[in-house]
Amino acid sequence: MAIPELESPEFLDRLRAGDRDALTELVRGYHPRLLATARTLLSPADAEEAVQDAWIAAHRALPRFQGRSALLTWLTRIVINQARMQLRRGGREIPFDPTEDGGDALDHRFKPGGHWRDPPRHWDLTGPDALLTRDELQHCLEKNLAALPDNQRLLLQLRDVQGLDFDAICHILEVSASNARVLLHRARARIFQMVDHFQETGEC
Amino acid sequence: MLKCRDLVNQADLLIDGAELRPGRRLALRAHLLICRHCRRYLRQLDALTDHLHQPPPPLNERDTRAVLERLEPRR
Repeated sequence: MAIPELESPEFLDRLRAGDRDALTELVRGYHPRLLATARTLLSPADAEEAVQDAWIAAHRALPRFQGRSALLTWLTRIVINQARMQLRRGGREIPFDPTEDGGDALDHRFKPGGHWRDPPRHWDLTGPDALLTRDELQHCLEKNLAALPDNQRLLLQLRDVQGLDFDAICHILEVSASNARVLLHRARARIFQMVDHFQETGEC
Repeated sequence: MLKCRDLVNQADLLIDGAELRPGRRLALRAHLLICRHCRRYLRQLDALTDHLHQPPPPLNERDTRAVLERLEPRR
């Protein structure tokens, strides 16, 4: 979710007029999110560079920014374009075609007729048991997030970690809603499967 | 008749608060009434996405200044 104070028309006017304090607030509020987005695709050092380049591009384009989307959406799009450019230089692309990413992690838990073969265990991420294993779970989550295909990790980061609007994400990534739906579902299915396994066995 | 597999595939729409046609919403609700496994799936998926929701805190002053200096080097 965007930060409301950084999205008001008055704040945007200050930014467009070159108000230094407004720019400082913008960087302070959004830089960590933009960096987290870039980190889903790039190494830490490359991500820093991509976000810095994105700030330079955004700073230049700000006087002409129309405010048709939220500032955070606009900035995230610039960051992703920078990241994609860096990836392309290294010969990598991020495909948004969900047919190429290994399918649905929950498939094997259903019978051919579509009913549960192996239903989910009961777990509660906020209960006392969860508190005791919080660090292990966090570690396991991070490991599994890192192992997701790039496109799924990016969708999950933007939608679930940062809470951006689903339609805004489709616009940012220039991906159809149906493809984004499939990728987001697969990312969540994998993470669900992982947590379910962790809760049952205590193992990652 | 809606299968568990269909509910799991569409659970993401419910989690995201997407607009659903009334017929589809009714079918999902009817399935959830009779299927405790799917109720559990939906409840836990919802809790899991809540758990993942951790937008990073604002940048500290020193790093903010460093970003700004590279933005406006003349000042």
